[in-house]
Amino acid sequence: MSDVLAFDIRVAFAGFALEAAAEVPLSGITALSGPSGSGKTTLLRVIAGLERHARGRVTFAGQDWTGLPPAARGIGYVFQDARLFPHLNVAQNLEYGARRRGTPRAQVGAVIEALDLRPLLHRAPATLSGGEARRVALGRALASGPRILLMDEPLTGLDRARKADLMPYIARAVAGFDVPAVYVTHSAGEISYLADRTLSIEAGRLTGWHPPAPRLLGRVVGTAPGQIDLALGDLRLWLAGEGHAGETWAIPLGQDYLLSFERPGTSNAALSLQARVLQAVPGSGTCDVLIAGQHLSLPWHRSDGAVPDAGAPLWLSVPKIAARPVQGEADDSDGA
Amino acid sequence: MAFSGPIWLTLQLAGLTTLILLVIATPIAWWLANTRSRLKPAIEALTALPLVLPPTVLGFYLLILMSPDRPLGGLWVRLTGEALTFSFSGLVVASLFYSMPFAVQPLQGAFQSVGRGMMEAAATLGASRWDAFRTVALPLARRGVLTAAVLSFAHTIGEFGVVLMVGGNIPGRTRVISIEIYSAVETLDYDTAHALSAGLLVFSFVVLTAVYLMNQRAVRAGV
Repeated sequence: MSDVLAFDIRVAFAGFALEAAAEVPLSGITALSGPSGSGKTTLLRVIAGLERHARGRVTFAGQDWTGLPPAARGIGYVFQDARLFPHLNVAQNLEYGARRRGTPRAQVGAVIEALDLRPLLHRAPATLSGGEARRVALGRALASGPRILLMDEPLTGLDRARKADLMPYIARAVAGFDVPAVYVTHSAGEISYLADRTLSIEAGRLTGWHPPAPRLLGRVVGTAPGQIDLALGDLRLWLAGEGHAGETWAIPLGQDYLLSFERPGTSNAALSLQARVLQAVPGSGTCDVLIAGQHLSLPWHRSDGAVPDAGAPLWLSVPKIAARPVQGEADDSDGA
Repeated sequence: MAFSGPIWLTLQLAGLTTLILLVIATPIAWWLANTRSRLKPAIEALTALPLVLPPTVLGFYLLILMSPDRPLGGLWVRLTGEALTFSFSGLVVASLFYSMPFAVQPLQGAFQSVGRGMMEAAATLGASRWDAFRTVALPLARRGVLTAAVLSFAHTIGEFGVVLMVGGNIPGRTRVISIEIYSAVETLDYDTAHALSAGLLVFSFVVLTAVYLMNQRAVRAGV
């Protein structure tokens, strides 16, 4: 399979060694997740060609990247600390990569629109807020027309509200510009909202693949300014978001959804859907359910160990909806 | 004016030295700012030597090196047909060594503050190393470049010992302002000595004030 980013690399510093081999599908957002100091940033830097002492191979869609300088890899890298060029204004920062890689002007314009960068174009990086600087850094990487986006904890250091503002931009960048991304993070919230799959890493070793957090997938069938009409099985929902008809959107259930045996009635949940239990094995900690025609495997933890019977009706309540576009037909397989 | 010759010669020497020094010192400073080589302290010490050595020591060794019967001096004679010692060219070569730390150190500091991160960002955006140096590192280090140029120029104007050792006191060829002052005092021509000394004093004060002002403004502007 050539539509993968494959690596088999080793790199050692004083007191730390990273050894990792995997094949990352080139679609959607792959989260690279692990605790601080586990080597996730180092791995991303090796993929980008920024670690000169790395040994081993990196291939991108069949093309050998080993020994290729970062400038020749066609990557877009979003650094944790934005790293905007302070002597250039926002527009010039955006043009820096675009000019060198010959990105069509129309695409740069589309990036500016998608990330709402137009009001910032003439500002100096020093005058931008933390969230604005991250948005410009993402735009700068995207405007260089990358074949893959490598993002190193691009939301670190921002408050919750700012993160929630920025995550849809990241989803839109990947889905709207059809560029796969590797996304380094240790935030469960970011993984739950953004990741189409997760590769975990601990103490310099890869420890396994995980499917996306529970989510419902729908198709956009209509749009209005700032809203999309999403078809979810037989159900139609109007949701906030900028999208186009035909796109696939995900509604991540997040971590605060509720499953109940009784119809929840009138509540302040943003969305309540009827589900049916497909299977629940006592002690397995999961419950397979069918919701809006989709098969979801949801965590099921009860201190008494009781599980619902197969076929039992169930209600899912989601306190708030944060939907996002998904690149292409992002598969839900584990990718391993 | 009677002493316009030495002034013109000094300006030529300082200007030429500054231009050549910026070209030579930039790669040295860049290497020092980015290397992890074990040789770094030795190279740093070597470029800083003129700060602590008596100019006569530097001048003495340069005189020996430039002497036509030594390999370096001999090579110069074969290439140009004239000796390096007691010539304007010899003064330029000596000034390059003498003012080296005043060019290397501000540049090295400026390049260090640019940091590896900016160069990495440029590389991920498709810039080659030279391109990134030209379009990111150099503009961000512009204050260091300006400081290096101003200090090299001013320091070369004020040199005395090295010039006397290597160039002697030949009117129109090696007699720079500082030597002219020395000669004037020796011949009790205090008017000339006063005029030139006061000129140098004011010039040095103005130049240093300009450098410090520049730094202060840059700090305020957060550059």
